[in-house]
Amino acid sequence: MFHRRRATMAAFLLPAIVVYGLFMLYPLARGLYLSMTDSLGGPMADFVGAKNYQTMASDSEVVAALWHTVLYAVVVVVAQNALGLLFASMLFRRARVRKLLSVVLLTPTLISPVMAAFIWTYLFAPDGGINGLLDAVGLHSLDHVWLGDTSTALYSVAAVNIWMFTGYSCAIFLASYMSMPAELLEAAALDGATGWRRFTSIEWPLLAPALTVNVTLSLIGSLKVFEFPLVLTNGGPAGSTETLTLLVYRNVFGGGKFAYGVALSVLLLVTVVVLSSATSSLLRLRERRI
Amino acid sequence: MTAYPRQLRRLAHGLGTVLLCLGTLLFVLPFLFTVATSLRTAADVARSPLGLPHTFTLKNFSAAFSQIQYGTSTLNTLLITSLSCVAVTAVGSLAAYPLARITQGWSTAVYRLFILGTSVPVFVVIAPLYLLMRDMNLLDSYAGIILIYTALNLPVAVFFYTSFIRSIPPELEEAAAIDGCGAFRTFFTIILPLLRPVTSTLLTFVSLQIWNDLLVPLVFLQDPGKRTVMVNAYSLIDPHTVQPTTLFPAALLGVLPLLVIFIFFQRQVVAGMSAGAVK
Repeated sequence: MFHRRRATMAAFLLPAIVVYGLFMLYPLARGLYLSMTDSLGGPMADFVGAKNYQTMASDSEVVAALWHTVLYAVVVVVAQNALGLLFASMLFRRARVRKLLSVVLLTPTLISPVMAAFIWTYLFAPDGGINGLLDAVGLHSLDHVWLGDTSTALYSVAAVNIWMFTGYSCAIFLASYMSMPAELLEAAALDGATGWRRFTSIEWPLLAPALTVNVTLSLIGSLKVFEFPLVLTNGGPAGSTETLTLLVYRNVFGGGKFAYGVALSVLLLVTVVVLSSATSSLLRLRERRI
Repeated sequence: MTAYPRQLRRLAHGLGTVLLCLGTLLFVLPFLFTVATSLRTAADVARSPLGLPHTFTLKNFSAAFSQIQYGTSTLNTLLITSLSCVAVTAVGSLAAYPLARITQGWSTAVYRLFILGTSVPVFVVIAPLYLLMRDMNLLDSYAGIILIYTALNLPVAVFFYTSFIRSIPPELEEAAAIDGCGAFRTFFTIILPLLRPVTSTLLTFVSLQIWNDLLVPLVFLQDPGKRTVMVNAYSLIDPHTVQPTTLFPAALLGVLPLLVIFIFFQRQVVAGMSAGAVK
């Protein structure tokens, strides 16, 4: 009787396996194969081995895009988590404003990246909100063509990303703060541990799991960023905000270099998997040591 | 201890609260600015871009409304989002039941295969998916795009549901089995009702992703009548040439349905977004 029951239960898996296998696992496997062909997307394709990957290694556009992608991710991960942690640690000590402000901080997370990019395109414009605000407080000398200058464009795009997800990082840190054992914090207060001392020796170690989650999530999210550079700069000026995702999109759907674009998407997968698993295992190791 | 440092500390605390409020204000300032500008006339904005509104107008909204074909595109987005959510919930919860209750080796292997999907960016499968959709005649169809979203979100759903079902004590199901209740009926009468809270958490997370997505509908839907809000906004409005009085209302209209949901389901949304962290 239990045997038959188990067989029926196993059948529950069928729809999931069909959908997931056909629309996720199969494309993944086919992508790996296509990246080693000269396919243009049509039925005719020859196997060319590692040729696409060799071309990639000497393609300065790809090397630059890989560098921009990683730099962008580092800027976003560091700034977003530092800001999120700062907000969370201050909110934790201020019960009266905690709930309201943390919800308010989360609102940018709700809007779509396209819409966020729309708003910020104008804020970054030469006659837009940021320069206007700088003028208003008498810092006219800091006015800048934020998205039009190769030295600031990538950081400006990253700023939009940080603006959108700081509330998210903050919410995760805050949840970790709220689960700290009250006795421990009270004991620390009795011992006279305050301010920075209390943060470094008690809170920071207890925040380790939240830090792991936050860093891993923001790293994966920022490595596969697409809408922000697409709408804000479309890779420009002079290719200074060209990311791997933009290159994949252009090669696959617009360049007649289909297989090359697929190979680039494999490079993106490898980058995401290597960097995120390295970071999360390093952080997990750190958690265990603390 | 003297009273002096305590007072000083209280002062620092108060100052921190003020700074905190200012910092948060800085984060919502772009929103407030967007709303204010949307309600002004183009001439008024041109006169003083950062000034307070002198005149109020809703004309900008009606212009943006027709420019991004808001009525049709919102209905399309709503249809795609809700049907994908239904499919993810049904297929995901059904699959999670055996994965949580059967402890043999193959079950763990299948579970791992699903979890693998959480770290695969859409970009990696988009090109082969395009070929597959073309060969299956599913390009430009709601069915195709819903199947894609189901597959993309199944890993999170399986993760959520499996860990939740594992936390349900199996005694109830064992009793049902002894009473002759089959696996199918057990699932529907005992397990499914218990999944309600985890489903609402999962769905806020999933629907947010689908509603806001650009790439999948941009690639797989070409028929202008089937396009979503984000695709229309992206392809019909060039933010670099358009006036903020056109741009901002369009952005607000795109966010509006989600903001309404957020206000009504604030608690679940916050829970859903933090739960997405475990992903």
